Amino acid sequence: MNIMLKPDVKADSICDPVTLEIIRGALRSSQKEMEALIERTAMSGFIREKKDFFVALFDPAGDLVIGAYRPTFGDPVRPVFEHYPVETMRPGDLYWYNDCYGSKGSVSHSPDQVFLAPIYVDGELLAFAQSWAHFADIGGMRPGSISPDCTDIFQEGVIIPPVRLARDGVINEDFLRIFIRNSRFPEMLRGDTRACIAAVRLGEKRVIELAERFSAPVMRDAFKQLGDRSEQAARKRLKETFPPGTYRFADALDHDGQGNGPYWMRMELRVEGDKVTLDFGDSDDQAPGPINYLVNPAVPRAMMSMYLLGQDPTLLLNWGAGRAIDEIVLREGSLLQPKWPAPLGQRGLTMMRLLSSCMGLVNAAGGESTAANCAYVIYFARGVDSNGNSFLMSDGLGVGYGARPYADGIDSVYYVAQENFPAEMLELAYPVRIRAYGVHKDSGGPGRYRGGAGVVREVEVLAEEATFSIRIDGVKMPAWGVKGGRNGGSGRAVVNAGTERERLLEPFSDGNILKRGDVLRLETGGGGGWGHPFDREPERVLADMLNGYVSAEAAAADYGVALTGDGRGVDTTATERQRADRQPVTGLFHRGTYRDVLE
Amino acid sequence: MDASRAARPDLRYAVAIDTGGTFTDVTLLDRETGASWTAKTLTTPDNPSQGFMTGIEQITAQAGFPAAALGQVFHGTTVATNLILEGKGAPAGLLTTAGFRHVLEIGRQDIPRRANLFAWIKPTRPVPADRIFEIPERMAADGSALVSLDENAVREAVRTLRQRGIEAFAVCYLHSFANPAHEQRTRELILEEYPQALVSLSSDVLPLVREYERSMATVLNVYVMPAVSRCVERLEQRLAEADIQAPLLIMKSNGGVTSAPEVRKAPAHTALSGPAAGVVGAGFIGAAAGFQDVIGIDIGGTSADISMIKGGNFTLSESGQIGEWPLALPMIDINTVGTGGGSIAAVTANGALTVGPRSAGARPGPACYGLGGEQATVTDAHLTLGRLPPSLLGGAMTLDIDAARKAVETHVAKPLGLSIEAAAEGILSISNNDMVGAIRVVSIERGEDPRQFALIPFGGAGPLHGSDMARLLGMKTVIIPPSPGVLSALGLLVSTLRADYAQTCVETPAYDYTRIAGVFAALEQQAADWFTRENAPPDARRQSRQASLRYRNQGFELTVPWAGDTVDAAATEATVERFHDLHEQLYTFAQRDTVVEIVNLRVAAACELARPKLIEWESGGSLVEAEVGRHDVWFDDAWRKVPVYERAKLAAGVEIVGPAVFMQLDATSIILPNERAVTDRYGNLIVSTG
Repeated sequence: MNIMLKPDVKADSICDPVTLEIIRGALRSSQKEMEALIERTAMSGFIREKKDFFVALFDPAGDLVIGAYRPTFGDPVRPVFEHYPVETMRPGDLYWYNDCYGSKGSVSHSPDQVFLAPIYVDGELLAFAQSWAHFADIGGMRPGSISPDCTDIFQEGVIIPPVRLARDGVINEDFLRIFIRNSRFPEMLRGDTRACIAAVRLGEKRVIELAERFSAPVMRDAFKQLGDRSEQAARKRLKETFPPGTYRFADALDHDGQGNGPYWMRMELRVEGDKVTLDFGDSDDQAPGPINYLVNPAVPRAMMSMYLLGQDPTLLLNWGAGRAIDEIVLREGSLLQPKWPAPLGQRGLTMMRLLSSCMGLVNAAGGESTAANCAYVIYFARGVDSNGNSFLMSDGLGVGYGARPYADGIDSVYYVAQENFPAEMLELAYPVRIRAYGVHKDSGGPGRYRGGAGVVREVEVLAEEATFSIRIDGVKMPAWGVKGGRNGGSGRAVVNAGTERERLLEPFSDGNILKRGDVLRLETGGGGGWGHPFDREPERVLADMLNGYVSAEAAAADYGVALTGDGRGVDTTATERQRADRQPVTGLFHRGTYRDVLE
Repeated sequence: MDASRAARPDLRYAVAIDTGGTFTDVTLLDRETGASWTAKTLTTPDNPSQGFMTGIEQITAQAGFPAAALGQVFHGTTVATNLILEGKGAPAGLLTTAGFRHVLEIGRQDIPRRANLFAWIKPTRPVPADRIFEIPERMAADGSALVSLDENAVREAVRTLRQRGIEAFAVCYLHSFANPAHEQRTRELILEEYPQALVSLSSDVLPLVREYERSMATVLNVYVMPAVSRCVERLEQRLAEADIQAPLLIMKSNGGVTSAPEVRKAPAHTALSGPAAGVVGAGFIGAAAGFQDVIGIDIGGTSADISMIKGGNFTLSESGQIGEWPLALPMIDINTVGTGGGSIAAVTANGALTVGPRSAGARPGPACYGLGGEQATVTDAHLTLGRLPPSLLGGAMTLDIDAARKAVETHVAKPLGLSIEAAAEGILSISNNDMVGAIRVVSIERGEDPRQFALIPFGGAGPLHGSDMARLLGMKTVIIPPSPGVLSALGLLVSTLRADYAQTCVETPAYDYTRIAGVFAALEQQAADWFTRENAPPDARRQSRQASLRYRNQGFELTVPWAGDTVDAAATEATVERFHDLHEQLYTFAQRDTVVEIVNLRVAAACELARPKLIEWESGGSLVEAEVGRHDVWFDDAWRKVPVYERAKLAAGVEIVGPAVFMQLDATSIILPNERAVTDRYGNLIVSTG
């Protein structure tokens, strides 16, 4: 049989289909290696346990070839070009920045450091290798650099505009000395910087090896084809999901950490002919507190693409995928495009809410998507231990994710690849005792598929005194349910629960002082439910009850399930009777009540 | 059964039974002459002892002496592996510290990095929270008791679980690695309430920090305990019935064997029993052929297992995973990739060619098996290109070339617009590349350059891929063992008695040398007790100390050998220096300006058993005699007539210039055009990739 070319295989493609898959696999494993290096060597809890880092490879124009499967960063190479034109770059260079406004939101809060190296093959630029990580403390108003109390970006740590950190492979240690001098935890900062730089250098080496094997022209063509393939798939799915028309969705954050709120994010998707526009212009004005999210257009593109690419592991979440949306509209001065120098430190809340809102938009357009996730919870404890050393404990807590049209929401997870601190590790490292760590009962939104459940963590203070910063969103505006599913439960922070000294803390606040023996109980929210809860198989409700996810009361009230006398079986007759009288679903979404719009 | 004879070196006949998913491989060895016999029987999954005994009967009949003459019986098992992978262990209960009932459910609260966060589904746990009971008690991180054990709560929990038919109990309390008193008392209470109960304590199974991983190891241990115990007991019984007095020695994940009673106590240690035996075999073959640094790749039907051996030693990992669950027990560092002979090639809706992880398995198997499989597999690609002869297993199995070509054409060639040959080559390229990626993980990612290693491909499909992979990695030598299909059985025969002990002991400068020495002494005592139980000859006992260190604030430890026999400032400093060096080797940089923390201390105990003498192949003889025909094989864009040799007829010292195909009962091997292969004196094919 002769070789026949498929009509849509362009004659000028020089990377054949088999080589393309091999290059894709090799890029993935290079990326994995870079990640493993950071993960194993970094020091700050943010990176090493919470894995708040990722690595990526870009083409010479600065377009993403392969990155993390999560929509966090923008367009990180081009900001460097503004200061260092590409023709002035040389092999061995290394660039570095964390300047949010200077990078148009490619970095969206200052603790995130970007390290970037151009990769040359035979004297020609082939790619960029990048690492990106959340550093523990880069100075600023409070230990940990980000605090709900910040009112401008200068309080959130030192700002590094794009600088050339290395020339011809030699690092300018002077820059690093300045940087490290600005940290309360210099040893961690130094370790994290080394890890990130080593990862970039490793990426550089791997890409050069690949080019030796396949040649630079074939690699370039592979980069292009991988982008095109993702774009075609994303466009196709987008067309199927959104017929021509205008679709709207809006959701709000509870507060900005400084007593203001709620803050509404409004999005509109317009499909006119072949043109697709995603418009955030109608969102609320920026907040005084640090929940502002300087959105780079690449971020909502990646969020939508993640959904559009579905589960095909051969499609990369790259720049091509993002091209499926032609235009992103943002309004300067809004929550999603704040003006300099508004504080940005807590934009993670806004990002998580925005991610769920993209799914809201799909639902509103009649597509099949998930209910809302809850935004992960972070808290810090700062103080001085018995040896007189100051400590900064940063701990992230899992939440519940939205239920799906085919499965329950994920229980008690933080985010992609981010691990918790084992209780035993925390107790070895900090003056605290973990009194409890479990599932937050009844926090998953009831539904045919249940929303994921949040967690409960009880932290007893063993130091003389510790100051806690807490970040819990979705207390007033819990994660919405969809298609009959109900909203997820809310989180809260309470000190000495169940005692006379019980007091409730503001869920998003700093400066909470706890004394030795005080116990902070953190409860995190759950994801929204999907489908009517009375349609959930009674056996699943029973299993949830036996496993501590749902109380007997909620099984009866929310799911209409009656249990047998010993509480370990379903009373089928009584359940059928209870379920005969079901609440009608009067709106697509649910928050408190069924409704078609949340606002 | 007399386990005390485990280490007696004067036992002439040893038999190894490697029970795999489909076949049970049996090898019998006469240590005095080096003569060996092999047999293959079908695995009997419902009762592995049946296939096990059939194998022994067959092989002893073949060798012509009574089974009672056997001196040692080695065994590699997949019982624990399969129970874990298939989630079919015993319903177990877990007692945990009050406040931590959801320790397994929450796990590490992460979504795997490669997963799509919209689509990922959290794997169910081996023990649901419904069977996890919270016990009021509490130890502090330093081992001091903060809350005493609530004994009534323990009794209550045991009664409740017993009523629900639970016989297997795991106990994991917080910080029990620092003080196991509450766990030990809990075991007494469980046995008082329920004398027949099976109990696993986390402080026995894995006395290391990190409650989720420790709980999981303990739970998995008790989860596989009833089935593994039953299986081991049945094997012992069947051996006794056959009048075989030889001790039964079972391969553990750490690449060493131990006697049956030890396995019954800690069955989770056999989770990687089968693959570990292969690694040991690869190391042995490599050393015999004169290569101390080798990478072994065992390619089976659905997956390939890869491991590295350096200086004759494999490395252990303490962060392994079996299926979806972590298992932090010491295991050979084996990287498994979902590519094998049965892996299915397909083109996605978006035009990408993928190979695996879906597999046609043994049933229906590749299209060419004619058992109803229609998808194109890696095996079909080999057959399409003539790399596999049309009949296998010495003629016992005929392959359907037309079915293979049709599958490749329909599922790959047409959708991609390629010729059938190009499509088949594409399937092989992608599968080779996936495996090469996995080889990089165990070499480059461990700071080692694969070009400095020889590749040992084994398993039924290994030697078909060896040369291609070696070329991709720039490896100069491929060693094809004389019997690549039964290398695991050889690994069992040459194995060592081995046990690893570890204990968390967090120390920062200035290190408390007395405490460190105390922990080492306690671990060494455990090792000595084990030696006694195994009745290991005193002069063959070896113990070595290791420490797991990290830079302060890092989240992972690296394990290095302890420098010297003493615990003092000099030895500690030298150990820390080893850590810096290893960090630099693995991660490209060291941080000598940063505080180093000791986290875990370890003692490895080993006792060499009698090594077999290898039989030397006769030299001389001509290549022509070994040639059994010529066959059309697709190489470099053309069909070529390629000689096919019968492996057993190749004499030592014979040189073959590729391309060539080598046939034998248990595998088919390929060498590429212009490669040179020499048969060494032990029958290994030493291939120079040029």
